[in-house]
Amino acid sequence: MRNGGRARLLLVVLIVTSLFLITLDLRGVKVIDGFKQGTQTVLSPFQRAGAVVLNPIKDFFSDVSNLGRTDNQIEKLEAENARLKVTLLNRKNADAQLEQLKDILDLAGIAGYKVVNAKVISQGSSQSFSQTLTIDSGSKAGIRKNMTVLSQYGIAGVVKDVYPNSALIQLASDPAFKIGARIAGSQQIGILSGQGNRSATLQLLDNSTTVSVGDVLLARGSSSNRPFVPGVPLGYVSRVDNSAGAIAQSAVVRYYTNFSTLGVVAVVVGRPSSNPGDALVPAKPQVTPIPTVTVTVTPTPSPAD
Amino acid sequence: MFTRQLSFSAPIFLAIFLVQEAVISQFRLPGGGFSLLLIFALTWAVLSQPEIAAVIGFASGFLMDLSQSASGPFGQWTLLMLLAGYAISYIGYGDDNVHANTIGIVFFVVTATFLVEIAFLLSGALLGVALGSFSQMVTTLFGMSLWSLLVAPIMLPVFTKLHGLVFDSRSVI
Repeated sequence: MRNGGRARLLLVVLIVTSLFLITLDLRGVKVIDGFKQGTQTVLSPFQRAGAVVLNPIKDFFSDVSNLGRTDNQIEKLEAENARLKVTLLNRKNADAQLEQLKDILDLAGIAGYKVVNAKVISQGSSQSFSQTLTIDSGSKAGIRKNMTVLSQYGIAGVVKDVYPNSALIQLASDPAFKIGARIAGSQQIGILSGQGNRSATLQLLDNSTTVSVGDVLLARGSSSNRPFVPGVPLGYVSRVDNSAGAIAQSAVVRYYTNFSTLGVVAVVVGRPSSNPGDALVPAKPQVTPIPTVTVTVTPTPSPAD
Repeated sequence: MFTRQLSFSAPIFLAIFLVQEAVISQFRLPGGGFSLLLIFALTWAVLSQPEIAAVIGFASGFLMDLSQSASGPFGQWTLLMLLAGYAISYIGYGDDNVHANTIGIVFFVVTATFLVEIAFLLSGALLGVALGSFSQMVTTLFGMSLWSLLVAPIMLPVFTKLHGLVFDSRSVI
């Protein structure tokens, strides 16, 4: 009886403490942030070490999980198989990260963004249904909260939290991620929301405008360029929802960035001198014409004729 | 006795948390991957008395809230893990069909993982946490359960041995 009473009291105390923590967090009390910040400061050297040691294994899992997604990918992978073997021998990780970095710098250079490059040191767990990653640069490198994060193809996410030597990035695939988007060329605007994977939903704001498959989306940009700088490529429209009852058209968008293979990212720390407009719209893939051969067969007269 | 056991448990939980954040979080596994801390805490909860399981759940939930990838308000995982730890122990404690049986423990842990994730989704929805598309939620939910089914039997001998060392019990499998 006494033991039962003690257990009940303990349970009640713990439940009240948990509810107290939730209330404090929802009211924005800074002590909770301090807890998290302290934890991340302690964890980041371990994550950095883990990233160095586990990169080859990580790449293996990434390759395996991406196999068989589409026929094109399989064909591409087969074609690149021989080259990949050589690349693996020649420090595959370093080469791949350098390649990503080069493309990111090209992207940032065209638009005139001032960027700080960073390596991904942790991918984050999906247990909370969120999509985040941690990078190895933080406030000491000039990174602040609510800055745009780029991959070599376009948007990667936004800086959610900053620590002295690391930063937490909310990926564009995160369900809570939202960004103002405009369609390249037509300048129609809408809101793009993450869905937990590489697809996102676009909600147009004007009911008189339309969107079509293949349209390219760019970031509209925020006031003072934070959290989003203008002109960053987001993705392309893969499906249009033409529901009769909808007030404005919506669409499914596929991000250019493959979030599961991010190794290097760039944080935009300086505003562009001018709006890059549509300068960053990715080039459409060139279709190689396939030669056609016409064979004409003339029937041989049969002996009976 | 109670304090001594919990103080011995603390470094083990911190070590598992470190492994989760520094090693397992490096991989973006298909289907959402798994949480070693979640599996570990639930395994210990199955093997412990309800009041100890509640404290274990509280501590592991607190660590999960400290994780950078935790999306809900701080304390959400603490509350859920506390309740899950207590419930799983209350149902399974004293039942030798569960304790002396590897399959029983794995079944309990995997089912609890599935239910805890559902509880996280429901409480998250109430607290205004953005959770993504329905298909993605279902994929993560079943993906994490399947990963737990794969990982729990592999890690079970280690977890039960650690539990035996700390709690001096005979529940080592």
